[in-house]
Order: sequence, then structure tokens, then C-alpha cells
Amino acid sequence: MSTQASRRPGELAFAVLMLAFSLWLFWQATRISGFSGLSTPGVFPMLASGLMVVSALAILRKAAGRRAADGGLRRFLAEVTPLRQVVMLALVGAYVATMPWLGFVLASGLFLFLAIQFLWRRHVALTAAITAVSLGAIYLLFRVIFQVVLPKGTLLPGLL
Amino acid sequence: MIEALGFLTISWFDPWLLMLTAAGTLAGIYVGAIPGLSVTMAASILISFTFKWNVNDALALIAGVYIGGVYGGSRTAILLNIPGAPSAIATALDGYPMAQRGEAGEAIGLTTIMSVFGGFVGILALALFAPLLSDFALKFTSRDYLLLAMIGILLVGTLSGESFAKGVFAGALGVLIGMVGLDPMTAEGRFTFDTITLMGGIPYVVAMIGFFGVAEAFVQLHNLDLPAVKQKIDRVIPRISDIRRYFKLALRASGIGTVIGALPGTGGDIAALLAYDDAKRVTKDPDVPFGEGAKEGLIAPEAANNAAVGGAFVPMLTLGIPGDAVTAVIIGALFIHGLKPGPLLLVETPHLFWFTVGNLALANIFLLIFGLTGIRIFTKIVECPKAVLIPLIVILSAVGSYAIQNNPVDIYWMLLFGVFGYFLKIYGFQVGPVILGVILGPMMDANYRRAMIGARNDLGTFAWDFVSHPISLVLLIAFLALLLSQTPVGGWIRTLLQRRQATGGEAG
Repeated sequence: MSTQASRRPGELAFAVLMLAFSLWLFWQATRISGFSGLSTPGVFPMLASGLMVVSALAILRKAAGRRAADGGLRRFLAEVTPLRQVVMLALVGAYVATMPWLGFVLASGLFLFLAIQFLWRRHVALTAAITAVSLGAIYLLFRVIFQVVLPKGTLLPGLL
Repeated sequence: MIEALGFLTISWFDPWLLMLTAAGTLAGIYVGAIPGLSVTMAASILISFTFKWNVNDALALIAGVYIGGVYGGSRTAILLNIPGAPSAIATALDGYPMAQRGEAGEAIGLTTIMSVFGGFVGILALALFAPLLSDFALKFTSRDYLLLAMIGILLVGTLSGESFAKGVFAGALGVLIGMVGLDPMTAEGRFTFDTITLMGGIPYVVAMIGFFGVAEAFVQLHNLDLPAVKQKIDRVIPRISDIRRYFKLALRASGIGTVIGALPGTGGDIAALLAYDDAKRVTKDPDVPFGEGAKEGLIAPEAANNAAVGGAFVPMLTLGIPGDAVTAVIIGALFIHGLKPGPLLLVETPHLFWFTVGNLALANIFLLIFGLTGIRIFTKIVECPKAVLIPLIVILSAVGSYAIQNNPVDIYWMLLFGVFGYFLKIYGFQVGPVILGVILGPMMDANYRRAMIGARNDLGTFAWDFVSHPISLVLLIAFLALLLSQTPVGGWIRTLLQRRQATGGEAG
């Protein structure tokens, strides 16, 4: 993947996006204290974001100089955001979003079960067993031994 | 001296610390070995769990994980041809061919002995040179720290990434992430968008967990189904004759490892590759050619990457500048415990320094024990399917992010950085410079402003200060040389010189 003549699918768009992001950061940095002095809080952020703009331009120039990736959107979907990544992202997103409601134990249990079942595709009972064992181990290690506070849910207050 | 010796052996006689160091080393070996789990990942998650602990306890555990983790990568490199960690890339080149010949046990045994040897060389260098360097570092001014930090980020950016521009971009991005929040000098908000959530800044541990944990988990989804080849293990304890024969090479590689580790911004992975290259050059006629299972090709990188651990602690403890991503994470741990790595660390908290040295030595001893035993169980555990491992990494990352300030918002940050980090990695950016930037950014900002105020806000005086003080001048030259060698300007100069030399040669 390191030495290819053509661009990775979506690379040009990403380079443009990063340039836009850098420009926006630079604009935000100028708003901190403007150009009022050389040792104001805004100077270093401006320098750093300015450096981002310059390097983003160099990255864009290099990417634009290379041959476009063939396959277009279909290859982007296959190589950068394949179904596996998208489903996992959705699962992680749902996990993170429901944690305040379900609490750590329930949310993690559900997430582990669904994610392992989706990625591994073995018998449901095996997945359930692995989920239970690993969740139990995590709870024991962190809550009981390390005494880490785990997020509690509003669904079953005081219990999980 | 006697006092130092007392601090040095704190963890040797305390059963609890002894246990923590042992547990850390053992865990580190597995973390380093399991492809998809990295020492940086483990250390960043560990910090969030251990920040309420006693400093000594936390440091004992983290030192063990570091030492074990740098070594652990070699196991999977030898057995499965998958380097468990970047520092084991060179190890796979000759380790796996050895395993294919049925010499996996011997390869592991030799690797262990040489890793431990390299480790001790690095620790010895740390004990000898850190006090000297820290005396010298008292002469450093804010300018010099600014330059050192820039050199560090530049080195990580140039050596680890696909292109120089991407390394610089990642480093600057990290610096900006580190800037978010109230300015420590004037309490003005920077990138806060007038929200209270952003005023406290973005916790760097969350950024680390996002970039190293979650992002890596998403990248690993691409190679879920890599087949593992099983190896049979026979002889593990290496021959004395082998050790005697390769002693000189190991010493040489350890020296390289220590120096490379001590340079700000370069760590075990680069040390290992350089030592491998060097071994290839100095070994005139190996029994087996390099790349086909030469023992030299196994010994050099492994001695070097473990020697780099001790080396990396030198700039970290004396200058407060991390040697690589893992030491950047460890610096984060020291900050969390209220310690200030820098030239004053040895003066204000000498016990901490000597404790760290003693602890690394202890972890190295445990490495010898665990490295030569338990290989059979090991092969079973490493085969843990990634389909199970990846969801677990996500859960551990979530727990780690939440544990720091018990704030659910931090888990959202973790996910955001994870997704962003995934795209960065896919498009050839490295996340190492980002983390170095996050850690060094606030320090660079403060030092820049101190230097500028010292120059009475006059750009001319500020610039003159850089060339009129010897230390600053040397660092500036190093920085510029590094910069020139990586940008088109350097290339132009080189071709110009070559052309001139060529014409000069013809004329002569």
C-alpha cells in the first residue's frame, strides 16, 4: 500500500478536506488575539495552524499530481469504508450513545455480543459465553480490583 | 550514593511492587506480542486506571509493560511472521525463516537473552548519563526547549510517516489539540467556542486512547482473517557458544539502540532497523545469509530495541522531552501524578529517578524469567481471534476514557479521535507525531512566549538570541539540517553540490 503510483480512493477529497480544516483552524486561531503582539496567546496557535495549511497544500499538490484511483466510489466503499467498518462504527456509536441510559455493564454486554457475533459468526451460545466471561473479567479487574468508576445507567439506577 | 542505592532497590524488596513489576512485564509481553495490541495503546489505557494509585505502584506497572512490550513483539514476529509491534519489524526478517527451519525455540531463547542484555546496557546508560545530562540541561533556556521539542516532532514526523508533509501536518495538529482550553498564562480561551466543556481542554489521555486504541481497532478490521502458522517449539535455552560468539555484535547493537533511543523523537522501531542494517554491514560472512534466518539478523534488532528503552528515558526524565510515542504516554502519566520531568526532576525528586532505574532493571530480570518460560501457553493465547479482540479493545478504550474524569463526554471525544485517526492512518498519516504534539504543544507554546518576552517582543532580538548562544546555535543547526534534508530545498542543494563535484572531478 505504500508505494503505489495512483492515489488511494478518496485521497484527493481527504486532502482537500484537510486543507479546508486547516484553513478553518487558522481562521479560528487569528480570532484568539489577532495580530496584536508577538507573545499573545494566539501566536503559537496561528503558527501551528499556519504550518498545517502549508503542509496540507503540499500534501494536496502531491496527491493531485498522481493518477486518480480507478474504480471510483465503488473502490472507496470497498477499501476505505467497507461494510465491516461501517457496521462496527454504527455499533460503537450506538454503544457510546446508549451507555448513559443502559449503564456500562448492559451496554458493553450488548455491544460485545453483537460485535463478536458480527465479526466472528460462530454459534450464538459460544458468542454469549465469550461475552459473559470477558465482561465478567473486565468488571472484576476494573471495578473490583482497580476500583475504577464505571458509567451507571438511568435505566436501572443503582444496580448497574 | 548510598541514598541512591536505597531508592534504586525500593521495588526489589517490596513484595507488592515486585508483584506489580512482574505482572506488568508479563502483561507487556502478551500486549506486545498480540498483533493489534500495542504498548502505546496499553500504556495509554493503563494511565487512566492507575492515576489514583500511588506513584510508585503506577510507575512499576508501566515500566514492566514497556520493557515486556518492546520484547513481546519479537515472539509473534518469529512464530507467525507478524511483528506484534513496530519495533519487531526487523526481527521478523530473520526470525521467521529460523522458525520455518524448526528453530523457533532457539530463536526465542536467543532473542530473550539478547533483549535482556540490550536492556541492561540501556539502563546502565540511563543511570550514568542522565545525571550528567540533567546538570547540563540546567543551562538550557526556553529557546533551547522550543528547539528540542521541534526537533523531536520533526524526527518522529520524518522517520515514521509516508511523507514529510504528512508528518508535519500530524505534529501541528497535535500541537493544536494541546492548545484547546484556557491559556495557562492569561486564562483566555483558545478554540473553546465559548463552551464550558472545551475550557478545561481536551484530556490528552483521551486523545491517545482514541488515536492508538480505537483508530487502530478500526484499521485492524481490514486484516481480520490473516492465517496463523503454527510452530513447534523445542530447545529454548540458547547455547553458551552462541552467546559468546555474538556478544560483540550485541554490545554494538545495544550501543546503537541506546543512542537512537536517547535522541528525542526516535525510539525502538528505528533503533532496531538501524541496528539490523549495521549488523548486515559488519557481518562479513554469516553462517546463513541475512533474510534467510541469520542469527545476527535476530540479535542486532532485539538488543537494540530493548537498549532503546533505557535510552528513551534519558531525554524524558532530564529534559521532559519524550523519545517516542510510548515515552510521550509515560510523560503523560508523570504529569498526571503531579511530577515534572525535566532537569529539576533529579534535584527535587531523586528518589523517583533512581526508583525508575531500579524498576527498569527489575523488569528486565523478570523479562529473562518470563522470556524463557511459558512459550507453549503463549502460542495458544496469541491465536486469540481478532474478531474477539477488537470489540474488547473498544470496551477497554471506553472504560479508560471515562475513568480519567468520570465524564461521558470524554468517551465521545475518544470515538471522534478514533474515527479521525482511522482516516489519517488509511491515507498514510502517522498518529505518533499527533501525540507527541499534544504532549509537547503546551510546553512549546510556553517556552516560545517566555523566549519572546525575554527578547522584549522584538523579533530581531529574538532571532539574534538563537544564533548568539552556543547551545541554541547547535540545536538550531541540527534543526535546520533536519529540515533541509527533508524538504525540496535540501534536494536542490544536494544536486547542485553533486553537479559541482562532478564537474570538478572532470576538470581535475
